[in-house]
Amino acid sequence: MIQRLLPFATLVALFVGLAIASPHFLTGPNLSTVIRQTTVINIMALGMTLIIISGGIDLSVGSILAFGGFMGTLAMQKGYSIPVAIAIGIAAGTMCGLLNGTLITRLKVNPFIVTLGTMGIYRGMTLLISNGLPVHEIPLKFAFLGSGTDRFGIPIVLWILLVCAIAMHIVLEHTRLGRYAFSIGSNPEAAFYAGIPVAFNITCVYAIAGGLTGLSGMIEASRLMSGQPTAGQGYELQAIAAVVIGGGSLRGGEGTVLGTLVGAFIMGLLSDGSDLLGINPYWQQVIIGAVIILAVWLDEVRKRRGVS
Amino acid sequence: MLLELDRIQKRFGGVTALKNGSCTVKAGEVHLLMGENGAGKSTLMKIVAGMIAPDAGEMRFRGQPVRFRNPAESAAAGIAMVHQESLLAPHLSVAENIFLGREERHPLGWINRRDIETRARRLIERHTFPLEASALVGKLSPAGKQMVEICRAVEQGSSLLIFDEPTSSLTESETREVFRIVQELRLREVGVIYITHRLEELRSIGDRVTVLRDGETVHSCMLNELTTDQLIQHMVGRAVNSLYRREPLPPGDEMLRVDGLSSDPLLKDISFNVRAGEIVGMGGLIGAGRTELCRALFGIDPIDSGVVQVGGKRVHIRSPRDAVRAGIALVPEDRQRAGLAIELGIAQNVTMASLRSVSNMGFLNLRSERMLTTEHGKRLRLKYDSPSQLARRLSGGNQQKVVIAKWLATKARVILFDEPTRGIDIGAKMEVFETMDELARSGAAILMMSSEMSEIQSVADRILVMRQGRIAGELPRGASQEDILRLAAFEEKVAR
Repeated sequence: MIQRLLPFATLVALFVGLAIASPHFLTGPNLSTVIRQTTVINIMALGMTLIIISGGIDLSVGSILAFGGFMGTLAMQKGYSIPVAIAIGIAAGTMCGLLNGTLITRLKVNPFIVTLGTMGIYRGMTLLISNGLPVHEIPLKFAFLGSGTDRFGIPIVLWILLVCAIAMHIVLEHTRLGRYAFSIGSNPEAAFYAGIPVAFNITCVYAIAGGLTGLSGMIEASRLMSGQPTAGQGYELQAIAAVVIGGGSLRGGEGTVLGTLVGAFIMGLLSDGSDLLGINPYWQQVIIGAVIILAVWLDEVRKRRGVS
Repeated sequence: MLLELDRIQKRFGGVTALKNGSCTVKAGEVHLLMGENGAGKSTLMKIVAGMIAPDAGEMRFRGQPVRFRNPAESAAAGIAMVHQESLLAPHLSVAENIFLGREERHPLGWINRRDIETRARRLIERHTFPLEASALVGKLSPAGKQMVEICRAVEQGSSLLIFDEPTSSLTESETREVFRIVQELRLREVGVIYITHRLEELRSIGDRVTVLRDGETVHSCMLNELTTDQLIQHMVGRAVNSLYRREPLPPGDEMLRVDGLSSDPLLKDISFNVRAGEIVGMGGLIGAGRTELCRALFGIDPIDSGVVQVGGKRVHIRSPRDAVRAGIALVPEDRQRAGLAIELGIAQNVTMASLRSVSNMGFLNLRSERMLTTEHGKRLRLKYDSPSQLARRLSGGNQQKVVIAKWLATKARVILFDEPTRGIDIGAKMEVFETMDELARSGAAILMMSSEMSEIQSVADRILVMRQGRIAGELPRGASQEDILRLAAFEEKVAR
């Protein structure tokens, strides 16, 4: 139990530690920055949580983020309204996820390989459509999505994240889809023997994750105020790391929304803290890498003890 | 005396696998090791081969007391085992497999392939095996793989070879080939221990026989001093399982009817029926096709021809999903692998196959899920702390009950039990039998696959016996174990 709480304890310790170490940490602007920086990864990581629980993995989400963001901003450039453009971005991400799920279940190829392939395909498609050039002609109002605040000064993205997180929690704990994801991830053979429509549910899981990534792509585009075909490179690994730090198991069947949120915020605080304390940014990567290994190792220790 | 085993004992957790394993093998003899499934033959041989350590007892090899800590020590002493399922590297060649782990030492770790192949070729020629030294082992037939294992054993200079049911996966001509090799080994003064189930093949190969029953050596003598009937009696023993006896019900309507079912490569022309309230036992040796029949009926393996009817209606089963919809349930042989998600809670396992009944528009009703779990838990006398307890934390018998509860929740009418008592203790076995009885009483049709004859005898209303993918015959309730074994083990045409 103590070890289950370890991610939370780490987050609290980091928060308190940074508050003491740096006078700039506990200020409105800094906390807003942390939230804005973390949200994009966080929303992707929610979808990744669902995928990892079902025993899969998605390496293509970084590319999906770019594709979704680019298609959404392209729509705005062509004169579509902002809500329609956001919907197009989400839909584009969903389509990518749907294709991932379909390939995985129809071809029966390992998700690692399929999404390694589509990572290149989606990125290449985005670059082909854009000819490598970003979209800049975006209505100024679009900035509210990534940079806006409500009347109490709380970033809009925090509300979006909260809604997504609660929705994902409900999906995981209170819907058939979520339950099937746990069952398939925990023991695919038993799930198949129980008559669960495995292929259909897996496809849904990837489609949902794709949709959330499309939304992340729109938020990223709004923060950058451009549709960058090269956006989101390496984000897939950060999203996976957030899930794993938060207690998700790459063997499937384990993971929680709260854990993933904590995992993403731990990484957010680590990088923000390094900035504030003037630590060489190159060290940040080393630290985050070590934290990932440490988190998974501790989780393994906990499980091995549980078994014996 | 080459090998002497004296009162070897071995326990696995709470289960005693060997109480008194005793046996002596001379050089140049073929020693048969016989006994029912679970009698302890394989455990005893694994101890000899150093794969597991004994708890008590003495083992002498060439007169010296020995105790092997791992297979390498046993191999170094001159003992080799030819396994039922090959333990070779499929992506390496025949020659590389023969010399695996014993390649000539070279300072750079260089392996001289040509040298290895030449030596392998010489070895193969000496035995006149139909093997190609450079062929990939993965492409070989089961018999070919066994020949590679034999070459490996001979190359090591082994003086004792253990064959664990070598012919169970072989064709008739391949079997003859293995027999020829065994005869040749005998002439070369090698000791051979040969484990088999097949009554029809032992006379043509063995010199002496040792019979194990319930982990104990019950008889050991020259083979020609024993009639086959005496041998069967030794294997089965007098002790008929008197712990449980089911009162049969008057059977109801026909629930499951199978006509002419065939499924490649094993199952051929299988026809039988099971009525409501009936428990039909399906006996046979390992590899006779019982598990395959379960898999075919449950839509895991494709059915090539034949008609399956459930409750009088023809059903087309192409996946477990179809089977579940048709009202068929499978309690699989390997419940941890195929029956349970052990890292999930009990309630999640219980409702896995019937989640629709506790959900509305895709949303789960956790309260009715808990109620359903409690209800079935009570009915099956499941011992647990709470519905959210992890399935991993339950005992084997209680895990089995969770699997059964999962199918109770689907209201399945035909329930296939594949080796339902494997790996659970006597007390839990009784409870599983009681559960089956109760299921039958509430109108289910039950087909129980079991390799333990005493179990079939005490539980089943009717007994079907499978042999090599076919139904070899049907016996009434109360048939003797000898009758079952005779049907299970003998060929109509004795292979010569």
